[in-house]
Amino acid sequence: MRQFEYLKPKTLEEASRLLVQYGEEASVLNGGTDLLVRIRDGISRPKAVVDIKGIDRLKEISFDEEKGLTIGACVNLNDMIQYPVLVEKYRILAEAAHTVGSCQVRNRATMAGNITNASPLADTATPLLVLDAMVKVFGPQGEREVSIHDFFLWVRKTCLQAGEIVTAVRIPVYKENVIGNYQKHGRRDAVDLSTVCGAVVKIGDQVRIALGAVAPTPIRAWKTEEFLKGKNLTEDVIAEAAEIALRETAPIGDIRASKEYREEIIKVLVRRGLGSIRRD
Amino acid sequence: MKHAINFILNREAVSIRIEPHITLLEMLREVFDLTGAKEGCGAGECGACTVLVNGKPLNACLMLAVEADGTEVLTVEGLANGTELDVLQQSFIDHGALQCGYCTPGMIMSAKALLMENPTPTEKEVIEAISGNLCRCTGYKKIVEAVMAVSQKNGK
Repeated sequence: MRQFEYLKPKTLEEASRLLVQYGEEASVLNGGTDLLVRIRDGISRPKAVVDIKGIDRLKEISFDEEKGLTIGACVNLNDMIQYPVLVEKYRILAEAAHTVGSCQVRNRATMAGNITNASPLADTATPLLVLDAMVKVFGPQGEREVSIHDFFLWVRKTCLQAGEIVTAVRIPVYKENVIGNYQKHGRRDAVDLSTVCGAVVKIGDQVRIALGAVAPTPIRAWKTEEFLKGKNLTEDVIAEAAEIALRETAPIGDIRASKEYREEIIKVLVRRGLGSIRRD
Repeated sequence: MKHAINFILNREAVSIRIEPHITLLEMLREVFDLTGAKEGCGAGECGACTVLVNGKPLNACLMLAVEADGTEVLTVEGLANGTELDVLQQSFIDHGALQCGYCTPGMIMSAKALLMENPTPTEKEVIEAISGNLCRCTGYKKIVEAVMAVSQKNGK
């Protein structure tokens, strides 16, 4: 691997200052399961690697009846999945997190890292989109909260400004149960990236749909949701919803699948997702 | 610049100065001559480099050596007690659960982590636990049998 400087700040203020100081030449190291591969492959060439795991408050996970579930940036995916409230109230997110990499990867990788990489196929992104999650950010101007809907800008681009660090992800409280599940369509069951993935849920009488690996960022299928408002999920309605969802996407062909194949799978995932919440 | 780190390696306290770009895997193999953990893909997909850090399995190729500071690292070399093999290692031998052997240390460490947490896993749990370890000889059946034999022994 290329050489770099290793810095391990103890506070957010210090971490942010280092990121400002090194600018584009700094990379944040959290679980490292993506960054170290990129450095090794020469895609990332940081001069300084800023390890944020020395900042204690980023390791917290907590639930509050008003604020909801707050998952610190350095909570690894396996620890997150085992948090009882997550399994009880936001099962879809636990399901999606469980499909990331392998057990070994999940013992290191974090949800903050998963979304900050801003890969169009990030497994935790679509559940966060249907749950209207908020991303907590610390930066030179202090703390702010950004909606997950404003967080992803493009492939591997987020709204984070210079010196900003994701500190936690917060998922709001829902009075009604969140019904539905995460679907990951890959080439094999274990340790694979999604060819297409998606989250379809029903919260109260509202249907919400998000899709991944179908556009430059993970997306909410807003128009499809609008179409479904107040409708019974009959076979015809589901079939039409799948067609509308397809028009909201812009899939590409790549190493994992062709554009045409993805278009088929998008419709299949939407149909299956809607079918499953109809039965529940 | 080298960083001074202290950690427990196979139950022994060690101190070393190491460059930050060296991975845990490189340090284990090249500094400590512990060549059980192997580099297969170098990208967290094959599991050949699996070691336990604070009792949890992870890919040693995806962790910097400096990040091991203050942790407890267990490699396949640390399983045997002197010349007495761990029951899981013996079970792999008894069941012929290896062909070329390249994936074996990683398989054993993933399975060991499971057995430490759950001494009597089901076959489904074993398969899930080793799903991050590739065996290119495709000898999975005997590997699962070897782990299940230990599970059954623990259940008695």
